[in-house]
Amino acid sequence: MSPEESSAHPNPHRFQKRGFSYEQAIKYFFASNAGLTIVILAMIIIFLLKEGLGFFPGYQRELEVYRVAGLEFVDISRKNLTAHEQLSSVLNRAYYAEINGQSFRQMRRSQEASALFNSYTDQTGATRDLVLNNSRAAGDPNSEMLAALNANFETQKAKALSSLPPTPHLTAQERTSLIESIRARAIESTEDPPLVTTLAGEFAAAQQKFAEPLQGMRATIDAFAAAGADLSSLVSDMTATVTATKEKIQGADILEKDRKTLLAAAASARDPVEREKLISEAKASLADKPDIEGPIQTLLEHRPDCVRLHTALKETSGGILNQLPITLTQPEAARLLKVARNTWPLFIADLEKTPAAINAWKHDAPVPLTSAISSFLTGKDWVTGGEWQDFYGILPLAAGSLMISIVALSLAIPTSIGAAIYINQYASNWEQSIVKPVIEFIQAIPSVVLGFIGILVLGTVLRDISLLDSLHWVPGFPLTERLNIFTAGCLLALMSIPTIFSLAEDALNNVPSAYAEASEALGASRVQTTFRVVVPAAFSGILAAVLLGFGRVIGETMVVLLVAGNRIKIPDFSAGLGTFFQPCHTLTGIIAQELGEVPMGSVHYRALFVVGILLFAVVLTINATAHRFVNKMKH
Amino acid sequence: MQTAIQIQNVSFAYGSKQVLHDVSMDIPARQITAFIGPSGCGKSTLLRCFNRINDRIPGAHLTAGSILVHDIDINRRDIDLQELRRRIGMVFQKYNPFAKSIYENVAFSLRVEGRTKRSELDGVVENALRNAALWDEVKDRLHASAFGLSGGQQQRLCIARAIANQPDILLMDEPCAALDPLATLKIEELLMELKKQYTIIIVTHNMGQATRCSDKTAFMYLGKLIEYGPTMQLFENPQNPQTEAYVTGTFG
Repeated sequence: MSPEESSAHPNPHRFQKRGFSYEQAIKYFFASNAGLTIVILAMIIIFLLKEGLGFFPGYQRELEVYRVAGLEFVDISRKNLTAHEQLSSVLNRAYYAEINGQSFRQMRRSQEASALFNSYTDQTGATRDLVLNNSRAAGDPNSEMLAALNANFETQKAKALSSLPPTPHLTAQERTSLIESIRARAIESTEDPPLVTTLAGEFAAAQQKFAEPLQGMRATIDAFAAAGADLSSLVSDMTATVTATKEKIQGADILEKDRKTLLAAAASARDPVEREKLISEAKASLADKPDIEGPIQTLLEHRPDCVRLHTALKETSGGILNQLPITLTQPEAARLLKVARNTWPLFIADLEKTPAAINAWKHDAPVPLTSAISSFLTGKDWVTGGEWQDFYGILPLAAGSLMISIVALSLAIPTSIGAAIYINQYASNWEQSIVKPVIEFIQAIPSVVLGFIGILVLGTVLRDISLLDSLHWVPGFPLTERLNIFTAGCLLALMSIPTIFSLAEDALNNVPSAYAEASEALGASRVQTTFRVVVPAAFSGILAAVLLGFGRVIGETMVVLLVAGNRIKIPDFSAGLGTFFQPCHTLTGIIAQELGEVPMGSVHYRALFVVGILLFAVVLTINATAHRFVNKMKH
Repeated sequence: MQTAIQIQNVSFAYGSKQVLHDVSMDIPARQITAFIGPSGCGKSTLLRCFNRINDRIPGAHLTAGSILVHDIDINRRDIDLQELRRRIGMVFQKYNPFAKSIYENVAFSLRVEGRTKRSELDGVVENALRNAALWDEVKDRLHASAFGLSGGQQQRLCIARAIANQPDILLMDEPCAALDPLATLKIEELLMELKKQYTIIIVTHNMGQATRCSDKTAFMYLGKLIEYGPTMQLFENPQNPQTEAYVTGTFG
């Protein structure tokens, strides 16, 4: 042993460290736990990126096929056709809103009478059928059994008659007579009670009466609707052609993919016989290059027709607006008419631009990767599993998530921060000991339970409230959809209140009491102290609380999946505040709903991963910002 | 000699814990009165009774006696606490400026009173900072955060804040406890200046400070007032053996 070595390993001295100690073992155990979370997080990110980033080339190819096969060409016309249909529908809705608004009383009376009768038949239907079937049974009916069934029916009838729905628009007398006529009704009768028939008749008559002065409008709407017929049939002709081309291209793509898989397998096969077999199979599946030019030329022959029909439609539509009434008497009808009037110039302008677009369209223009990215980020349609063309545009989902967050936060921020200020600054000890655990208890409710409370209780109650006549002035009332942005927002507000409350309360609590003391010693009242000294000092902490609440809202899945209504469409903002009562879909909800059903590795599957990446990035940014605010407060 | 505060047989408790026992004394106006005594003797509690800042603590209450400020019992039901505290300024042990600018810190007491006229505030702020001997150091950065000042400057800012609204009485709860000797010296010089306008009551652990600054000194022990008299007499010729033991340092 050389002297250097012996000095590196000196003889044991009094304080010699001995081997691997118990304390070190504990230390490394905890270190490995901490390290594991980091490794897992890194793996999650890698997995998300690996699955997600393949989306863009795949989507690029889909868009390329969309162009090459000519679907894009057809969509130029189809877009206008859809706009035309929507305008007709808006006008029709305005027309019926006007009539139904004017005959509102009759409509409600008729609906209420029918609802009352339906409630009765729903409740007694099963027992009634039993009686009828048995008495009609061939031969001798068992009289004892029949008597029992009859008695059963009578009990059910009495029960049904004692639990009928309210009828606020019927007079007490009418209600009594309706109930009496139901009571007196023969068991085998299939006719509606006379009052139900009369009221339905009155409603129809009223509709007819109010439709009378609107005949001009009716004719105008019909003329407008008819003006799209030619274009519509041309579009369906073209549709058949391009769909066939698309199928051919897709078939060839699949064969090509198979061939590549086989070749790859052949390259890695060890056995020469096996390899030969695979290569020959690959050669067999070499697809013929599908004929694209032929069908496209046929399609492009329609160009002059297309242009002509668009010009015709533009000319007809231009005149329609002047023939419509200036305004209507019912608020909903007037609103719809106004919507139509506002969109009209856009529609005409689109029609104007169309011929140029049709002539300029080229089937062989390249589709760059950036257009796949921009069409994902700014696309207004999320259409999947359709026959025509799949689009993965994120805007409808992002809009839904954002709208729900706006509702949730505008309810949760005042409530939870107000509660935090009260509990921290004014509440007595026993109030604190009750309120704090209760608010934190909300967090213990499983979100799926909140979801079905939302569907069954909140949705129903809100819809029933919206039917009240006295609330007609509220935008969006009466509700057409029971599950909508607002119901989801309410529940998410409830879910984010504990988060925001606890963190805001902590922030207020961290303000040194010396501040409040100094402020009061200077002659400030309790309220002045709270709002001029304590809240400003806690401001960045409160902001962080709000941001973390926002992160919670935007990442929540189960409640929105159950309660938001799941309609994949950008909300119609022309409804003003009523927009908040439309259904929507969300970034989180779409993943939960669709990921289980898509084929693994498909473009759709990868699109959902990109949505996941986006969501991850958003929530991460929000949380990082929140933590920055918290740190700022600590210094 | 005019009397600013009369303390008559005051007993005080936090919940069930009695901390002051039958304290009586008269505090003269426009002089400095020092409270000395070991920790926990009740001197701070007594000081905090004068502007009723103890009301913030749940369960704190006067069990007997009364405190008269300018002959008015401040524990009456119809006392406007905000107005009382405007008349009695307070400076705390640890300097505690608000997270606002220097200017807004000084103007705070006027703002909460509803006086927001800019020209008036400007004058008051300058005057208060001058009286607190801080004006020359901060006049160029009035709108910078108060947290940028040194500890001694922050404490003088707190004094400026307390005197901005021209109170009659200034309560100081160990104002130099968190400061270094130089900053302490500055505050003591300031006290001699302020004494001309204000009645000052100062709680201190530093007996040197009491002898340097105060005109009268009260020695408290275990919630009782042991001895109260002119500072010179109390330190040089204490009447009570406990006082003597404390001021000579043989206990405490």
